[in-house]
Amino acid sequence: MSCVKPLDATILADYWLALLPKSEEETVEEHLFACDECGARLEEVIALGDAIRDLARQGSLLMIVSDTFLGRIAKEDLHVREYAPTVGGSIACTVTSEDDFLIGRLTADLSGAKRVDLSLCDERGIERLRLADIPFNSEAGSVAFQQSITYARAAPSETMIARLVTLDEAGSEHLLGEYTFRHSRTLPGPGAW
Amino acid sequence: MVHPLHIKCVLTEIEFSDSDLVKQIRLGNRPAEAELFRRMAPRIRLYGLRHLRNQHAADDLVQHVLITTLEALRAGRVRESDKLASFVLGSCRMTVLDLRRNTQRKQRLLEQFGADLLAPMPISMPDVDRNQLANCVQKLKERERAVIVMSFYDEETSADVSRFLGVSEANLRVIRHRAIHQLRGCMEVVA
Repeated sequence: MSCVKPLDATILADYWLALLPKSEEETVEEHLFACDECGARLEEVIALGDAIRDLARQGSLLMIVSDTFLGRIAKEDLHVREYAPTVGGSIACTVTSEDDFLIGRLTADLSGAKRVDLSLCDERGIERLRLADIPFNSEAGSVAFQQSITYARAAPSETMIARLVTLDEAGSEHLLGEYTFRHSRTLPGPGAW
Repeated sequence: MVHPLHIKCVLTEIEFSDSDLVKQIRLGNRPAEAELFRRMAPRIRLYGLRHLRNQHAADDLVQHVLITTLEALRAGRVRESDKLASFVLGSCRMTVLDLRRNTQRKQRLLEQFGADLLAPMPISMPDVDRNQLANCVQKLKERERAVIVMSFYDEETSADVSRFLGVSEANLRVIRHRAIHQLRGCMEVVA
């Protein structure tokens, strides 16, 4: 029998994450106890959530992360290698087979910033990738970005320049900080490119 | 009195209502009990996974609630036959509150009703293509990706995530919902 009022996957995700108000949660549960179609959709959401958790644990996503996230990783006995170059500074870095996560911590005065982008450039300063409108806390004074450990393990020795820029209402960019990562390959074998 | 063999045949061909199941179980019909287990076990298990966050604990919940329900049905204690689902849900809620305190009672009931009938059902969660998911997560906008990872990996509270993003909890909800729709769309699942 087809469900006449199916629960949206977003509601089921909120239910799974315990983010619904109590009354709404009870309504969802009553529905789920009478509807296997929505139960099957909840199973899909659970499977998706489990897969996302596995993906996050692999350290292979390029993304901005929170300190809470890093704290949780540490509790799981996963090894985090973190580099924190000074503004305008340069830092030598590497990755070993023992590392599970690779983090770059970029200090900057973020107060007053409305939008911040992270621009990743090659050694000549040419932008190769941009993470636009990244999440940041204006009071935090730093941004932690996770470089894909899969990428880093495969990379040859190379230099990457990271730039934090803020965009004003007119769309003009202003540099908040530039950071140079000089990566030396220490894993056996040549880099993948 | 309906012959049990006849009921067994009918149960495999016709979708019985919960009300029919209650009546048949009260009459001592074993195939109806099996149908009750088939119907309710996945629902109880999902409830258990949500509230207990552990597969074994969820299986324990399934076992416990099913025997409690069966016991009540056999004894005619479920008076409103059309409220079977509500009864089972209520049992789930109560059982989660005191699951660990009932180990002795559970053992006694297992002996009474038979462990073979109440064996955990095989688990079959949908498969997710991990490579495709990685591509889909990487295609999300930065804030959406952060929200999705923080929510599902870390199960951080909305307050924590909204503080990290510098947005209100209402805005966070919008970002999370948009990201889930995009992910499911990218994974080619109908939202």
